[in-house]
Amino acid sequence: MLTANVELTVLQAVAQFLSYAVLAVFAENVIFSRALGVSRLIKLVGDPDVKTWQYCVPVILVQVLAAPSGWAAHNLLFPWLKIVLPGWLPVYALRPLVYLTASLLAMALVWLLLAVAPNPQRDACREQLPAATFNCCVLGTLLICANQNFNLLQYLAFGLGSGLGYLFAVLVVDEGRRRLRSKDIPNIFRGLPSSLIYIGILSLALYGLVGHGVA
Amino acid sequence: MPNTQNPRNGKAKKAPAEHSQTVIIPQISPEMLARARRAAEEGRSRQEIEAMEQEAAETAARQAAEQAKQPEPAPAQPKPAPKPGPRTRREAEAELFQTIHDDHLWLNNPVMVRGLGLAPIVVAAMDCDNAVMLCVAAILMLTATRMLAVAVCHLTANRFRPVIYCYAAAIIYVPAYILLYTLFGSTLSVLGIYLPLLVVEPAIIKRMESPELETVGEAFHRGINNTVGLCIAIMLVGILREFLGAGTFFGNPVVKSAWLPLASQPAGGFILVGVLCAVWTAIGGAYVHYKREEVRHLYADRKR
Repeated sequence: MLTANVELTVLQAVAQFLSYAVLAVFAENVIFSRALGVSRLIKLVGDPDVKTWQYCVPVILVQVLAAPSGWAAHNLLFPWLKIVLPGWLPVYALRPLVYLTASLLAMALVWLLLAVAPNPQRDACREQLPAATFNCCVLGTLLICANQNFNLLQYLAFGLGSGLGYLFAVLVVDEGRRRLRSKDIPNIFRGLPSSLIYIGILSLALYGLVGHGVA
Repeated sequence: MPNTQNPRNGKAKKAPAEHSQTVIIPQISPEMLARARRAAEEGRSRQEIEAMEQEAAETAARQAAEQAKQPEPAPAQPKPAPKPGPRTRREAEAELFQTIHDDHLWLNNPVMVRGLGLAPIVVAAMDCDNAVMLCVAAILMLTATRMLAVAVCHLTANRFRPVIYCYAAAIIYVPAYILLYTLFGSTLSVLGIYLPLLVVEPAIIKRMESPELETVGEAFHRGINNTVGLCIAIMLVGILREFLGAGTFFGNPVVKSAWLPLASQPAGGFILVGVLCAVWTAIGGAYVHYKREEVRHLYADRKR
């Protein structure tokens, strides 16, 4: 009986993890529904020197590893800060500072983790690590999780899903951009305008999937 | 007065021996002589000439006193040499390119041309009020962040730029948030996560990618330019989105029904900003093309 309960709990946790991760990849995609990190994405898909994996692998790793420290900051640090801080200094003013520190810790861990990767990939990923860490996608995910009062498992799932969702968006926009190089596209729409309109149309498609409303 | 002691006077009277007399001969100065000559020539009396001279002397003394009261005019500065214009076509094109690069308001706008700061504009700037709040936040943060980060980078020999820029923005965010909360109150929560996200927004910290270390003065100048360009884009998008999405302007109805309700959603924001970028690029491109043609015609007779 005890074994069955444990198995059920584990299965529920896995199901919850997967559902939050899938939610973050598609319905709550960081690019298509919230435009987090879209400036960096447009620069990335137009830059032939930077490979997609080179930037997205650090983003995913930082997202996942920043989740526990973000959860700890939201549930442990901020309640204590609310008591300690003077009245004129609201705790919301310190959120970027605290979550940036959480991201910085995750960046240090990723730096160490990349040591196991083979040399060309390791250097390439480490080169993009600062840009991947100090990104709207990473900080935005931590802030969303804090606003939604997620637990640790949900933090991890949403962080992983957001990273994978960012990779998904980069792949889709990269393919779209390749096709948008056609001569049929008017000159003035080439580049940034066509990419934005393309992302907007994909975002509309997601509205059809999850409903017309964004939190 | 007769000269009684003149020996050539043959009829000189014999002077009393025990009684001597001192005679003072008036000294005629050259001025008096000149005055006498002038009086003779002009037919005026000596008194008239003296009165005229005295009046002229008084006038000159009065003018000197007035000049002493007035401050002395600054010594004339040497005029700076006129800036030499470009001599060759290549120099003229380089100058034009630099002008375009430095123009963060129109030709190199951070949002419409370079695609920075899209997250808050596409999602949060859905009406005029939100756009104003974002503009104030950008004004408070952008230039100050850039200047603080550059100052720290000078101390660290331009190392750890990403960390320095982001933490500088996060530190500046603290007083900026307090000020914004004082200005807008709880309305500020409408911006949601997009206000703290300004800390890592490329429009604010894009400079961290450049290895060239600018001076604090340059950071101030460029920060102001970028702020103005960013605010123009935010306000333009906010006004258009509110007008199209709700048919209002700062909450006041302008048309009976909204023309494009989708404009207030992120998808509509993407599409609207994309169209605006296209129009902006077209106008800017036409201007740049005109200027290039102008340079080409001006330097057509030169080989380089």
